[in-house]
Amino acid sequence: MGAQGPSLKRYALTRIALVFPMVFILLTLVFLLMRVAPGNPVSAALGGHVPPAVINQISRRLGYDKPVYVQYGDYLWDVARGNFGTTISDRRSVGSIILVNGAATLELTFFAMLVALVVGLLVGLVCGRFRDSPIDAGGRLFGIVVYATPVFFLGLLAQLVFGVWLNWLPTSDQASPITLALMKTHTNILFIDAIIDGNWGALWDVVQHLILPATTLGIVYGGVFIRLIRVNVIRTLKEDYIEAARARGINERSVVYRHAFKNALVPVITVVGLQLALLLGGAILTETEFNWPGIGHELYVYLQNRDYAAVQGIVVVFGLVVVLASIVIDFAAAFIDPRVRY
Amino acid sequence: MHLRTRVRYLVALGVGAVALAAVAASAALSAPQRSNASVILDGTTDTVTNVDPAGNYDYGSFTVDILIYQHLLDFPAGSKVPSPSLATGCSANAALTAWTCKLKQGVKFSNGDPFTSADVKWSFDRVNKIKDPSGIYGLLANLKNVTTSGAYSVTFHLKSAQSTWPFILTTGAATIVDHKVYPAGKLVANSDVANLVGTGPYKLTKFTPGQQAVFELNPNYAGAKPKNSSVIITYYAKSSTMKLALQQGTIDMAFRDFTPTEYAALGKTSGITVFKGNGVVIRYLVLNVKRTPTNNPAVRQALAYLMPRQDIATRIYHGNVQPLYSMVPAGLPGHTDAFAMQYGTAPNTAKAKAVLTKAGVKMPVPLTVWWTPTHYGDASADEYTEIQRALNASGVFKVTLKSAEWATYSKTLGTQYGAFQLGWFPDYPDAEDYLVPFYDSHSNFTSNGYKSAAMDAILAKEQAAKTTAERLVYVEQAQTLAAKDAPIIPYWQGAMLAVARSDIHGIPGTLDPTYIMRFWELSKS
Repeated sequence: MGAQGPSLKRYALTRIALVFPMVFILLTLVFLLMRVAPGNPVSAALGGHVPPAVINQISRRLGYDKPVYVQYGDYLWDVARGNFGTTISDRRSVGSIILVNGAATLELTFFAMLVALVVGLLVGLVCGRFRDSPIDAGGRLFGIVVYATPVFFLGLLAQLVFGVWLNWLPTSDQASPITLALMKTHTNILFIDAIIDGNWGALWDVVQHLILPATTLGIVYGGVFIRLIRVNVIRTLKEDYIEAARARGINERSVVYRHAFKNALVPVITVVGLQLALLLGGAILTETEFNWPGIGHELYVYLQNRDYAAVQGIVVVFGLVVVLASIVIDFAAAFIDPRVRY
Repeated sequence: MHLRTRVRYLVALGVGAVALAAVAASAALSAPQRSNASVILDGTTDTVTNVDPAGNYDYGSFTVDILIYQHLLDFPAGSKVPSPSLATGCSANAALTAWTCKLKQGVKFSNGDPFTSADVKWSFDRVNKIKDPSGIYGLLANLKNVTTSGAYSVTFHLKSAQSTWPFILTTGAATIVDHKVYPAGKLVANSDVANLVGTGPYKLTKFTPGQQAVFELNPNYAGAKPKNSSVIITYYAKSSTMKLALQQGTIDMAFRDFTPTEYAALGKTSGITVFKGNGVVIRYLVLNVKRTPTNNPAVRQALAYLMPRQDIATRIYHGNVQPLYSMVPAGLPGHTDAFAMQYGTAPNTAKAKAVLTKAGVKMPVPLTVWWTPTHYGDASADEYTEIQRALNASGVFKVTLKSAEWATYSKTLGTQYGAFQLGWFPDYPDAEDYLVPFYDSHSNFTSNGYKSAAMDAILAKEQAAKTTAERLVYVEQAQTLAAKDAPIIPYWQGAMLAVARSDIHGIPGTLDPTYIMRFWELSKS
């Protein structure tokens, strides 16, 4: 450990230092992309309704006529002070969007990841255990199909089947309108808020509303885990120590579930981190499809309004979350396996 | 598996099952009712920018505001003219440059503050002081100042004569707020629900941006008691999701907006009714009079002869819109079918060819038509494909379609486009609001280059007309000249549509040209 300590520390510092240029590049790209196309939030809101002179007058007042480099400088200065600004269309602070709507996204992605892991682990394990059997073929096919299916299409199917035809589950929103109206918010994660208040009726309502979006998003990303875990289980079952365990007379069930499976899980940790970026991307589509009031849903709306401040803030937060998650995963991988250094 | 391990599993399973049963039982006992008996659950794809009326100029915010606030004059259901609301009446001086309104006494805001002339002056002054980027202050461009005379009389001094000032008093810019609560120079935040007080039938009790607005009865409301106990509006990003919610019963009704196909499907769904009333939303094709080929009046007239209005209404919108033959929609005072009188009601290829032949224009005329994909709804693509099909089939035009997203499109319009799609939703339901912004050379926002001294003169007379009868004469003259010059070709007028489940009552009574959803008139059985 003595030899590893400084090395891991140096590695950690390097990784953290790299965050700053990454975020800087992200900020710059988002800023420039928003300004490449003609038009601004004022023309998007008032164009086709008021004379161009009025639009220009308001745009000037808001500083959209300033040179791009001046606007960029102002923006960087604000971000450096932790001020992501206020949305132009509805005057919300970007910070409050991140807190309120980010909580809804956190709730959705957490449960989606849970679904992805449960589906991936179960199906992957069974497929690996019964390699080349009809069960394996079915599991692999399932994994490929769900991964290849666009999340909004799967969501639409789920809404139609379980919402409209069977009428088992609600098709949209975080909770029913009356529950939402009556609930008190503490953390903005309704699942937790309902528990804090001991409001079991609301909790049940929230859980019902979570099932379709979380399952849709989770199943799609479960496809990756299925293939990964299957391959790892197959590889692990060929390892010498597994053969040795079998030779010692340990029954096959214990060999698979207690020895092979545990070791097959290690590479999954890294993939979980990588999947988070994809999961957040999928959350935008899922939230829009299910009217889930998360940060992706807001991004969709603000993009349509060309709300610079909102889009910049949300995209940067998405980027930061992915960067931080990848760092945590890298640390975890480096800690578990001392050979890992990037 | 060891015995001890198995026992552990069993115990865990048992505890889990008991916990689940407890939660389920508790949930069954305390589950919130999906739909409370007298609560109206509405859905919409509109968005709310600001609840504070000094900071919004969009229909979604206006729909929220009419539940919370009132104006000096408002439109009761079925009325096409402004009627006393917080005022007992308004009258003008002989020159139409000063309008005096007498105010109702004994009216209170939802927080208990009394309503006086100070609130009226404060409300108008702060709109002009804040000058919100939403542009709402533009509606008060003709207002010089507001003076009060005692607690219950107020006078609006205008820069120039305006016969339609009472209509301005019904718009969002003229919403009355409490001067003790609303700051003079800044907006009240949407999150500050306690201070978003008005004199309207409801008070806003909860507002979650992009998600939900909750309204409960205003105990101080001076008007007739609403026919429901509260209204909850749920906001949807996609109409398809809202449609499913309506079908499932998560919401009782939806007001604005579905695609034509969704309206058609909902119309066939058992237990759901699509209500249709007079609407004032219009679509039109703007022609740039400075760019070739539409700078040639003959080309514009040929387009007017060939516009496939009925096909668009039937094939694309399934009858939810009707052909429009003037910029002023049918149903509003002064409307005439000016384009029908000049070019006929159906496409006429022979006359289109004749007008071009006479002008020496070679056919087919190449024409690039611009449209925008999302801002006016998903049906725009089909709408413009239909226009292209009809014009090309005539052999008179060879149309190329081009599209741009709204943010780009709205900035460009007539500065670069020769022929382009636009739509209009009025600031107030009067013919003037369908003429001046399009044909007056000082107000034309389309940048299509249209300037006509004759038209300017007619519109000036219309704005200064002393009587309604006199004003409507000029309104008709303006429509006739607009059809002749054809710098814009109107082609459809949309119906006001609302969809509701069978237990919602009162919707037909509120579907009129004022385009106001009066939720307080709705009840639930």
